[in-house]
Amino acid sequence: MTRRRLAFTLFGLLIVVFGSLAGNLVAGNEPSLGLDLQGGVSVTQEPVGEYNSESLDLAVERIRERVDSLGVAEPEIIRQGDAIVVNLPGVDNQDEAIKLVQVTGAVLLRPVLLSQMIDTPDSVVDDGSSTTTATPNGDATTSTNVSTTIATAATTLPSSTTTLPGGPSRPATVTSLPTDTTTTPATTAVDAQSTTTTVASTDAPTETEAPTTDVTLPTDMPDPTDPNATVFVQNADGTEFYQLGPAFATGEVFNNDAQADIIAGGWGVRVTLRGGATGADLWNSGAARCFAKDSSCPSGRMAIVLDGVVQSAPSVNQPSFTGGVDITGSFSEGEAKDLARVLKSGALPVRLQVQAVQTVSPTLGSDSLRAAIISGLIGVGLVLLFMLLYYRSLAAIVVAGLLISGVIQWNVISLLSSTNGLALSLAGIAGIIVSIGVTVDSYVVFFEKLKDEVKSGRTLRNSAERGFKSAWRTILAADIVSLLGAFTLWYLTVGSVRGFAFFLGLSTLCDMIVAWFFTRPTMLLLARSNFIARRRVFGVDPSALAPGGAA
Amino acid sequence: MSDTRPANRRGILGRLYHGETSIDFYGRRRYGFLFSGLLVIVTLVSLLTSGLNLGIDFEGGVAWQVPASSTFGTDEARDVVEENGVEVANAKIQTLKSGDVESIRIQVGDQTTEVRSAVQAALAEAAGVDVNDVSVSSVSSSWGRSITEKAVRALVVFLVLVSLYIAWRFEWRMAVAAIAAMLHDVLISVGIYSIFRFEVTPATVVAFLTILGFSLYDTIVVFDKVQDNIERFAATRTGMADITNVSMNQVLMRSLNTSLAAVLPVISLLVLGSGVFGAVALREFAVALLVGLSIGSYSSIFVASPLLAVLKEREPRFKNLRGLHSTGAELEHMVVTGTSSGLKNVRRQVQADEHTAPSANVTPGALLTHPPRPRKKRRR
Repeated sequence: MTRRRLAFTLFGLLIVVFGSLAGNLVAGNEPSLGLDLQGGVSVTQEPVGEYNSESLDLAVERIRERVDSLGVAEPEIIRQGDAIVVNLPGVDNQDEAIKLVQVTGAVLLRPVLLSQMIDTPDSVVDDGSSTTTATPNGDATTSTNVSTTIATAATTLPSSTTTLPGGPSRPATVTSLPTDTTTTPATTAVDAQSTTTTVASTDAPTETEAPTTDVTLPTDMPDPTDPNATVFVQNADGTEFYQLGPAFATGEVFNNDAQADIIAGGWGVRVTLRGGATGADLWNSGAARCFAKDSSCPSGRMAIVLDGVVQSAPSVNQPSFTGGVDITGSFSEGEAKDLARVLKSGALPVRLQVQAVQTVSPTLGSDSLRAAIISGLIGVGLVLLFMLLYYRSLAAIVVAGLLISGVIQWNVISLLSSTNGLALSLAGIAGIIVSIGVTVDSYVVFFEKLKDEVKSGRTLRNSAERGFKSAWRTILAADIVSLLGAFTLWYLTVGSVRGFAFFLGLSTLCDMIVAWFFTRPTMLLLARSNFIARRRVFGVDPSALAPGGAA
Repeated sequence: MSDTRPANRRGILGRLYHGETSIDFYGRRRYGFLFSGLLVIVTLVSLLTSGLNLGIDFEGGVAWQVPASSTFGTDEARDVVEENGVEVANAKIQTLKSGDVESIRIQVGDQTTEVRSAVQAALAEAAGVDVNDVSVSSVSSSWGRSITEKAVRALVVFLVLVSLYIAWRFEWRMAVAAIAAMLHDVLISVGIYSIFRFEVTPATVVAFLTILGFSLYDTIVVFDKVQDNIERFAATRTGMADITNVSMNQVLMRSLNTSLAAVLPVISLLVLGSGVFGAVALREFAVALLVGLSIGSYSSIFVASPLLAVLKEREPRFKNLRGLHSTGAELEHMVVTGTSSGLKNVRRQVQADEHTAPSANVTPGALLTHPPRPRKKRRR
């Protein structure tokens, strides 16, 4: 090991550590505090009964959207196995919180009564425009369907344009392009009495207000997720506004096999119908009414609604379907896949059950935090004082090592707080305080080995090298046990134990990094200089360090 | 004795500081085993008779916490809960102090959402506070069970992995001794919770896990030294007892240092955090940690290492050296120089063997006892 390489390692570490610290400070990242330190409500839900991973994923996404739209600062939404933990700091109304996080991933099929574009002229995203046709399966009945599909596709075009004077622009055929739709903003208001506020907001081209409409609806508006009411909802990107009638059916009419596919030259979604009264029959009765454009479905369009948001509102192109349904339109591949996911979720919606609710009052939280920080710092001070008494000037290296370890941890926690929603909990802080002991121990092990080597008559430089080598073996053996524990616990448990495991693993890794990249180069460099030799640092008289001292 | 350094001149602290103590840990192993055995028995008795006071996170249930006042105490709280049709026979109602603020905590079994909100509102009205000042925690019993199951499963997996790792990195006897010592530590810490009826919360479990980790960590550092010394003394006929004693004395200061470094922040957490600042959430955590960390350091010296020595003595290599171990000045010599005081041992061995086997095979190497020649200084 040359001196230059050691110095390079040392400065490399310092640059990386303090560089990322500066980066974090500039980016304004800082550790976010867990619920137990800040106060708030935590709700844990777990799916019961049958569900598929799509519906669970969608449920988590919907919870996230709802929570975000509420403007809760630093919410934490974690999947732990199948359980979903939602931590809402600063929220103190428990019932509100429970209501907020209860989503199902259930899909409703509702007739479109009226629709209205809320469009900026350059908006080309158009997942509302699509047509529903039968799957061209190989058997005899579906082959006739293919022909009717083409026929109906041709005839639906005029009918769908006549649906709404305000929103004539929905192209209904497979090949039609949405870009030609320069729409008139809603001067011709949708005739609902309570939509005046919403119509006003449609003049603003921004989407910022859009999510608030579906979560904090005024109480005089019907709940958009109520299947039996006539409701007012938007599509996912807030470009179209709908008045929807009571639901014909739920997404459970479909089998759990929706997939995005290329249908007639464009991306679409293909899904099969469940047989019998709860499947195809239910769907067909709705489809027939929409196809006929009777009073319950005057627009001829069937909206696929997930949690109060229209995912797609295709026109129905034939009165009855056998086997399967194709939904086509000017989808991009991603949009088609999203819609397929929604349908899969709707086919087997997840039923989430609240398993645990916890409210922490903000004062209790901040008291704990203050107490933990102050007593933690004093504890560290005591440890350092003890090190100073025991190792004299070598304690400076311990202090520097702890400092670097602390900065690394701060960096990682800050970064993960802003990217992954990690929050520092009381258990985590306690874990870090305890890890101070382990970090200090690495130094103790090293210094004691160094002492042994020096006592058996080696030169300081030689002792430092041999001492570190054998100390590193010990540190590695002990740290690997801690890492094993941290990983097992993190992987297999939930809740605060999981948080603890994360911080234990992090601090153990820091210990190893500091030992190898900081302590090793520093000590080896110092051992070559006169710094240690001139001082009584090991409890061994430096004069006895001369070779032959123990002979 | 070739050692010319006057180690005897130093006081006990000085010798400790210089790693030159000569405590016969092996010879006193029975005291350690006896003491630990007693603690374990007390723990087991307490666990079997009174069990653990599990919090709602493990059993499921609802807990309300209401600010207390002169007109609203535990009896009033009990009445309010009872009026709402909740069974109060098994309810735990207690007063919590956090700083100058007193609050009442009512804990009952699993309840429906409606009952939960109704009691919350009723309690708020009775105590004359806002509804949001009454905090509610609830955990369904199935969730509580699954949390417990998951934790236990994780623990079992962890123990298997760690045993395999230690067996691979060191040897299986060390794995057995380390796991035994760790179980001893965790069991006694759990015992404290059972005896004093502290409530077991998720934070407690975290504390137990910390203890477990620390205990293993500490034991492994000690075993690393033992393994070092086994290699070092391999050429000499040194018994496991001596190796253990030498190792223990050599790492004693490290163990004390480390324990102190780990315990100081915890004491600070306990005395300042929960004492001066009154953060109740920290108190039980700190108590569990303090007890566990102290037991952990104790067990790696007084349980794990003697146990390892006992196990190792069954090995053929150490079997016929059993019952012989150095004490006093001899031990000190071994500790300080790191070499065997083989001459005397071998002589004793020869005497012992003369009664059983007439041809004692004494290698000349074992009779030569002088410290290693210092390495030649070479410029690199």
